[in-house]
Amino acid sequence: MSDIRTDDIDLTEDPRLGLGAHAAALAVVCVIALVGNTVATENTVPQGLAGLIILWVMCMAGMLLTRFAPFKLPSVAWISAVGIVATMPWTPGSAWILDKVSHVNFLTLATPCLAYAGIAIAKRELEIAKASGWKIAVVAVLVMTGTYVGSALVAQAFL
Amino acid sequence: MPTKDILLDWRLHGSVLAITVIAELVGVIAVPIGIGSILLLPLLYAFVMGLLINPNVIAGARALIRDREVHAASPLIVIAIMPFIAKFGTIIGPSMDKIIDAGPALILQELGNLGTIVLAFPVAVLVLRMGRESIGACFSVAREPNIAIIADKYGLKSQEGAGVMGVYVIGTLFGTFIFAILASILATTGAFSIEALAMACGIGSGSMMAACSGALVHAVPDMEEQILALAGASNVLTYATGLYLCVFVALPLTEKLYDLLGRKEPSKAGA
Repeated sequence: MSDIRTDDIDLTEDPRLGLGAHAAALAVVCVIALVGNTVATENTVPQGLAGLIILWVMCMAGMLLTRFAPFKLPSVAWISAVGIVATMPWTPGSAWILDKVSHVNFLTLATPCLAYAGIAIAKRELEIAKASGWKIAVVAVLVMTGTYVGSALVAQAFL
Repeated sequence: MPTKDILLDWRLHGSVLAITVIAELVGVIAVPIGIGSILLLPLLYAFVMGLLINPNVIAGARALIRDREVHAASPLIVIAIMPFIAKFGTIIGPSMDKIIDAGPALILQELGNLGTIVLAFPVAVLVLRMGRESIGACFSVAREPNIAIIADKYGLKSQEGAGVMGVYVIGTLFGTFIFAILASILATTGAFSIEALAMACGIGSGSMMAACSGALVHAVPDMEEQILALAGASNVLTYATGLYLCVFVALPLTEKLYDLLGRKEPSKAGA
C-alpha cells in the first residue's frame, strides 16, 4: 500500500508516454468515445467511427507539432489549432471534414475523460478537497461573477 | 509504471467504458429553479461514478480498482481530453470569418476574463488562505479548455488541478443558475448596456451562455436577436482566443501574483 510519500513522487512523475503509446492510448479512448457516441446520439457506428478517426488524426498532428515545432505551446493549443485550420471555410476539403466530425457529439467526448479523472483522484487530493471544499464554492462564485462583470465592463468601454 | 501496463489495464478501461455508457444513457437532466436551472450533464455523472469506484473514496471499491489503476488513470486524463479539444477546433473553424467580422470590441472584451483574477484571487489567497489550488481556481472561469491547460502544465493531480476541478464542478452544477442571476440583476440595474451584458454572456460554456442570454432576453424581450448574436459570437471567441489569453496572460499573471501574495509552502521546504 502506498503511503503519502510515494504518492508525492507519483504526483510529480506522472508516467510520460512516448508518441507510439500516445497513439495507442488515444485509440483506446476513441473506442470508448465511439460507444458513448452511439449510446448518446442517433449517429450510427460507421458515422461515429469516421468522425473519430478524423479527430484521432488531428490529435496526432497536434502532438507531432507539440514535439517538433520550433516554439513551445501546450499540446491542447496545437490540437485546437489543427482543428480550427482544418475546418476554416477557405481550407480545401473543410466541408468534407466538417460533415464527418458532425456525427461525433461534442459533450460526449468529455465523458470518458471525467471518468478517468474520477478514478485518478488520490488520497492527497481528497485531503485538499476536504480542507477547502466550502472555500472552493465561495471562490467559484467569485470567479464567475468576476469574469462576467469584467467582460461586461470591457465590452461597455469599447462599444 | 511501464507503458504497456497502462494501455492494457482492462479493469481501468472497462470501468471507464461502463461509466461512459451509463452516463450517456441517463443523459442531460435540467432541474429548473426559478429563473435559471441546474444542469446535470453526463460528464458530471461520469466524474461522480469514477469517484465512487475509486478505492481512495470508497474502500470497498478496491476489489475492482486497485492503486495501480488509480495511477494508470492519471496520464489518460490528458489523452482523453484531446479528441474533445480537436472537436472544439472544428466548431470554431467554420465561424472564423464571423469572428473576424465581429470587430475589436468583441476581441478586447476577452480581456474582461481577467476580472476573475481581480475579484476571486485576492479573496482566495488573502481571506480564505488557500494554497496553490487558488492558482488553478482563479486563473480562468474553469471550463474544459482551461482544465486542459492546467492538466497539461501541472497535471490534474496537483493542487492547481484540484483548484480548477473544484471550480469546474461548482460551475457545471450551478453555473447556469449563477450566470442567469447575474445577467438579470445587472440588466435591471441599468449600469451596463444590454449589448455589453450580452457579449459577457459568452464567457462560459454553451449552457451558461444559453442561460445567461435567456435571462437577458427575458429582461429585454425587444432585443432578443441582438442579444443572442452577440452572446454567440463572444462564446466562439472565448474558446478561440480565450485559450491563448489563458496560456500567455492569465496563468502567468496568476502565478506571479501568487508568488507575491501567496503563503509559502512550509511542507515542501521542510521535506
